[in-house]
Formats: sequence, structure tokens, C-alpha cells
Amino acid sequence: MFLRLVADSFTRRPRRKVLTAAALALGMAVVTAALSVSLDVGDRLASEFRSLGANLVVTPQADSLPLEIGGVDYRPVNAGAYLPEADLPEIKTVFWHNNIIGFAPILETPITVGNPASVPEISSYIPTHDLQFLGTWAHHAVRTPDGSNFYTGIASTNPWWHVTGRWFDDGERECVVGTRLAKSLGVSAGSYLMIFHKDGVGVESSDGLSIVGIVETGGPEDDKIIGPLGIAQSLADKPEQYRTLYVSALTKPEDDFARRDPKTMKADEFERWSCSPYVSSIAYSIGQVLTGTDVRVIRRVAEGEGTILTRVRTLLWMVTLAALLAAALAVGASSAASVIERRTEIGLMKALGAGSGTVGFLLATEQLLLAFVGGGIGYSLGIILARLVGQRIFGVAPAPSLLVLVAVLALAAGVTLLGSAIPLRRASLYEPAPILRGE
Amino acid sequence: MTALRTGNRAMFWRIVRRLLGANRGRLFVILLALGAGAAVTAALLNLQVDAKRRLTSEFRTFGANVLVTPRDSNSRGLQPGASTLDSSLYNRIPQSNGDDLVAKASLLYGIVRVTPWNGGGETSDTRGATSAVLVGYQFFGTDLADIFPSTIVAEPQGRELMGVDAGIRVSSCELGEELAKRLGVQIQQTIKLQANGSDVICFINRIRRFGGPEDSQILIWLDAAQELLKQKDRSSVIALNVPGNPTSVQRYVSQLQSWMPDVDVRPVRQFTEGEAKIYNRISGLLTATVLIVLLLTGLCVMAAMTNVAMERRNDVGLMKAIGGATRRVLRLFVMEAALLGLAGGLFGAAAGILLSIWLGKQVFGVAAQPRLIVYPVSVALTTIVAILSAYPLRRLASVRPASVFRGEA
Repeated sequence: MFLRLVADSFTRRPRRKVLTAAALALGMAVVTAALSVSLDVGDRLASEFRSLGANLVVTPQADSLPLEIGGVDYRPVNAGAYLPEADLPEIKTVFWHNNIIGFAPILETPITVGNPASVPEISSYIPTHDLQFLGTWAHHAVRTPDGSNFYTGIASTNPWWHVTGRWFDDGERECVVGTRLAKSLGVSAGSYLMIFHKDGVGVESSDGLSIVGIVETGGPEDDKIIGPLGIAQSLADKPEQYRTLYVSALTKPEDDFARRDPKTMKADEFERWSCSPYVSSIAYSIGQVLTGTDVRVIRRVAEGEGTILTRVRTLLWMVTLAALLAAALAVGASSAASVIERRTEIGLMKALGAGSGTVGFLLATEQLLLAFVGGGIGYSLGIILARLVGQRIFGVAPAPSLLVLVAVLALAAGVTLLGSAIPLRRASLYEPAPILRGE
Repeated sequence: MTALRTGNRAMFWRIVRRLLGANRGRLFVILLALGAGAAVTAALLNLQVDAKRRLTSEFRTFGANVLVTPRDSNSRGLQPGASTLDSSLYNRIPQSNGDDLVAKASLLYGIVRVTPWNGGGETSDTRGATSAVLVGYQFFGTDLADIFPSTIVAEPQGRELMGVDAGIRVSSCELGEELAKRLGVQIQQTIKLQANGSDVICFINRIRRFGGPEDSQILIWLDAAQELLKQKDRSSVIALNVPGNPTSVQRYVSQLQSWMPDVDVRPVRQFTEGEAKIYNRISGLLTATVLIVLLLTGLCVMAAMTNVAMERRNDVGLMKAIGGATRRVLRLFVMEAALLGLAGGLFGAAAGILLSIWLGKQVFGVAAQPRLIVYPVSVALTTIVAILSAYPLRRLASVRPASVFRGEA
């Protein structure tokens, strides 16, 4: 009888049920879309922030103090310490190796340069400029311990460097030239450059480098020549070595816990700390695998990134909450309305001897059924919406999450029940007689 | 005729009043739905305007984003400080971009010999001596961290000490963490800086952590640096932190360049470009979320209203039976909906603006400024939604009084 009553209520006035379900579905669609986007947005934005470039810098521990002014290090080449290039694949063995999206070793060395231009004889070439040669990787295949290749280089750590032409090939005798230098040297992509070490310490052979691109960095590198690390190493006579390593890693914004000194932590705290992708814990784990290094957080990047990420995330959660609240109120209101209009029916049931409990139970079952149907439809609608938004803004759709489905269904059920609870309570106080009389 | 009209009008309002007052519970429910919609609309609209502005001020944390450098800076070769700017340029740089304050610093770089100094003249310990980069700075703005993002590691408690011994020039300076560690000095100790045969004693006022090359540098007042490095009235670079969204920063840069054609004004690409990307993403995200929420909140309210409207069949049947023209009956309901929308909007939007002020405080630590324009806009939107939600009432026009009274659904 109970089920029949429920079924009857749905079949006899389908339009009204459809309306209530539609309100529910729409409300839940908002909630789903907002929740999916908010859950996803942290990761998306974190990777967006990598366009700011590296957030970690690795230098030799034994190094002398850098004397860097305007991007040029004024230390003599033989002062200070260097790091072995062979250790670099180790970076991809740290616990957070999937968060490390790029790294590039740098070795700079002063050079003199000449432009042979149309003169084919190398002997007639006259050195003209004192410059810096920046050796690095452009798009280098790093063999990771699990056997696969990881491609990385300056193009992924410094995405704001724009190359007209193309990046140099790491194994070739090629280079790119900073835009201002290119202008003052009068060279362009396709020309050749002769380079020599300034103090003549290098053993660089003199068959020149071909320029394959002009790089625009908006920084001091606009006055430099950027080429393969190997060439810088032979120019500076530092085979297989580099001086600075820039690492770009996806991180979680730092909180108070993250800023604590790992040395003062207890074992379980340290475990928790090193198992969160804080920039400091990633720095720590890189320091563990690259011996003799000093891994520092580039605060300028990391700190700003952290604050903005936290802010945006909070903002979105607040918006989500507001949306949730509004949807809940609207849905609650519509389910309340659907109970109010059934006063006559309730009166009749009570007149026929139904207790308040039975009536309440009957109505609650109906509302729950509606909630699940409406919530389900709303979920699928919301997922489509979230995909649209995600695709449009980040180019990547958020993955549908079961957690959201559960949350949405629970919310739908809770809200409809709450919405109907108040009118139901009033309904249980009704005297059947006046209602049936139509008063 | 006029009497009839006024009579009609009085009757019209009376019916509207009765319609509204007929069922308190339902009235409350509708007002709640509409009010919630209006509140969210107002809160989001307000936040949307405010959040973008706040966001751009968050970008301040990245430090200097525009640099003014000497035009021919690559001819300096490997000689530090070979080309410099005239210090007077500093004063010509506008101090604001729109409503926002531009932080600016005039910087002079040079390499000096640093020795810990204990006041004992030339007998001081030279074991800790090292070469380091000296940065002379003159600063305008609220916090030096606007130019050099940093955290202060050590700071003297209480008043800054400025003891001056006779015959010794003493200046105060700030040290990068790395350099302080290398020299083995603490705050409130003194170091000696030497360059070009002259020297200056300076008192360490602060130790900062920058997480950049500045960690091994010394910050000192510009005039002291100019004197030490023999670069009177010169500076190497002027660093600016220009707030605002990417287009306004760009505009500021090109304006400044046109005022100072003899120097290079260039944005720090790393940050301006990254900021532009992030700003566009975030503002797109905000707009999208706000639009979706508004649209669906509207639809929700509409559905809730429609549900309520359907139960008016009996009233319509009765009105028609006693001779109400369909149009006039509909006008009654539209008026009812509009009044409800207005009331819900007035209360809801006010609540929403308060909500957004609170939200702004939670997110950005600063209360969002209420924009007056948001209030009428959200009230109007709510009223429109309410009237639109009376649209399904059109179907009531086809209600046949007889079938209603027979109790047919």
C-alpha cells in the first residue's frame, strides 16, 4: 500500500514532480560544476604558475659568493665550485619526481666573439666583443632510472624566452643569440659566429657556431649567446660540469607547517612534511640526491605563487559555497512548496487514520526519490558544464569525480528533507476536519 | 469611465494584496528563494569586480616588474657599473598608475671588499673577508619587499642604533642571509666595506632572506654607495613595481618610455608575461563561475516559482468564471511576481553585498569595497527573473473554468 501510494503520487501528477525534480537538477548542476572546477583548479593553476619559470635553484655548496650584477657573474672562471652533469638524472628519482616538470643546468663563461659574415677565411677574423656565453640544455633527453627519456631544458624552465627561428640542438654546433646582441652584432638566424674563450683557457676549436634563432628574454640574457652546455664546458675547460641548476616544480602552497625547520620536526611530522609537495620539501629531497649542493627556493617566485594560489583557491571555494547555499535554498524552497500544496491530501490521509509518522515517512520517501533522480540528472548536467568551463579556460576538462557525485546526492537528499521538514512538521499538527472543509 | 478605471485599479491592487497575503508560508518560501538568488547574484557581482583588482595587487609580491636601464647597457662588457643612469631620472618617474601606488627604487651596483669590523681600526680580523656585491638603494614605497621580495631573518629589537665614532663614517646596512653566514656576523655588528681605496663602516641593521642572488649582497643607502663607489649622482638601474592589470602595466611602460627616450624601460618578462597569463586564466575562471552560478540560480528560482504558480489554477478558473479577461488575469499574476521579485531582490541584494564584504575579508584579508552599481543591477535582475518565471503562467490562459471546478487536473 505504501509503495502504491508513492507510485501513485508520481504517476498522477507527473508534471508537478518533473518541475520539482527540474529545480533540484538545476541546483545540483550548479553545485556539481562548482565543486568539480574547485577541486581541479588548484592543480591547473599550479601548472599555470610554472610559466613564471623555475622556483628552485641548485648551486654548489662549496661555491664562493656569486658576484652577479645585471645577470653577469664577475667571478673569475676558475673561482668557485662546479657540479657534475652526470648526477642530473638523479633528480628524477626523488619522491616528487612527477612534480618536477623541468630543469636546466647552466654554465656561463666569458668569451670574445667575431662575426666572420661573408669572410670565409677564419684567419682574417678579428674578435670584436667581450661577451657571456650561456651554456645550457634546450631540449635535452635525460635518461631516467626507469629507462624512459625525460625531455627538459631551458625552454621548459624559462617559458617566457621566445625564440624566433628555433632552439639549438643540444648535440650540434649551434646557438641562439639574444635579441639586443644580435642587433649590435648585426647577425640573424642563419649567420655564423666565431667564439673564443676570453682568457684563452678553453680548447674550443674554431669552426664557429651557426645561429639558428634569436631569443628574446626581456632580461640580461638579451645580451648573451646561448648554446649547448657541451660547448660552454669546452670553452671554460670544465668538462661534464655546470654551475647552476634551475628546477621548475609543481608545488603545494606553503602553510605554517611547511615553513618549519625539518630538523626540529618529530619523526611523524617529518614524514608528513616530506610527503607533501611543499617547495621546501622538494628542495630537501633534491638536496638529498644531488650531493654537495645547496638547494634554495627562489622566494620571489615561490612566495608569490603560494599567496596567489591560496587566495584564488579560497575565493573559488567561497564562490562554490555561495552557489551551494543558493542552490540549497532554492531547492529547499521548491520542496517546501510541494509539501504545502498537498495539505488536502495530508488532511485526507489523516482523516482516514494515518498517523503523523506514516504521513511524514511517505512524503519523505517521495522527496528522497526525487532528490536522487534530480541529483543524478543534475550531476550529469554539472559534469558537462564543468567540462565546458575547464576546456575553455585551461584547455583541460576536469575528470569526473565520484566524490562529487556522493556529495551532490547527499546534499540533494539533505536539502529536500530539510526543505520539507518545516512544512511537514506543520502538517503533522493539522486537524483534518478544517482542511477537508477547505478552510 | 474614469471612475470605473479607478475602481478597477483599486480592485486590481486589492486582489494583488490578497494573492500575496493568502498564504504566509508560501510567500515566505518564494521570498526566500528569490532572496537567495539575489544575494548570490549581488555577492558574486561585487566580488567579481573586486577580486580582479585584488588579484593584481597580489602580483606585487613578485617584486619589481619594470626596469629602467641605461640604453647602451651591453657595451659595459665585463666592467661592472661601466654604464649608469643619471640619478635625477628617479624623481621623474610617476608615483602612481591609476589609483595604485608605484613602488620605485634607484639602485647602484658595485663590487666591494667586505670585512667584519670590531671597531679596532686596521687590526681587525681579515679571515672572514670576501668580495660581495654592494647595492646602494633609494626607495619610495611602503615596503622594500615590493622591490626585493624577502623575509626579514633578524631585526634589532627596539630602536635602531646609530652610534658614530669620531672620524669614522658609519652607515647602516642590510645583509643577505648567505653573506651574513659567510662573514659570520650578526645584526648590530659592524662591517667594513672597501672599494676604490676608500672605505666605509656600516652597522648591520637587518638580515634578509631573498632566495635569489641578493642573498649574497649588501644593501646600503644610495648616497653612501655613490660615495664609496665614486659614482656621484649615478645609479645602475631603477626598479619599479607597477601595480595593475597587464594592459595597464604595458601602458605605463610605453608612457614612461616616451617620456624618457634616452633610457630603456622594459618590463621584466618573466613576471609580466606570467602575470598576464595567470590573470587571464583566473579572471576567465571567475567570470565563468559567476555566469554559471547566476544562470542556474535564476533557473532554480524560476523552477521554484513555477511550482507555486501551478496551484493557482483554481483562482484563475474562478476569475474567468466571473468574467475576468485572460489578459487582465495574467496581468495580476505578473504584477504579483514582479512585486515578489522586487522585495526578494531588495533584501537579498543587500544581504549579498554584506556577504561579499565578508567573503572579501576572508579571501584577501581586506573587505571588498561595495560597488553601488551592483545593488540596482541585482535587484533588477531578480525582478526580471521573477517576471520571467511567471512565463509558465501563460498556460493558465487556456484554463477552462468548468473543468477546474469539476476538479479535473
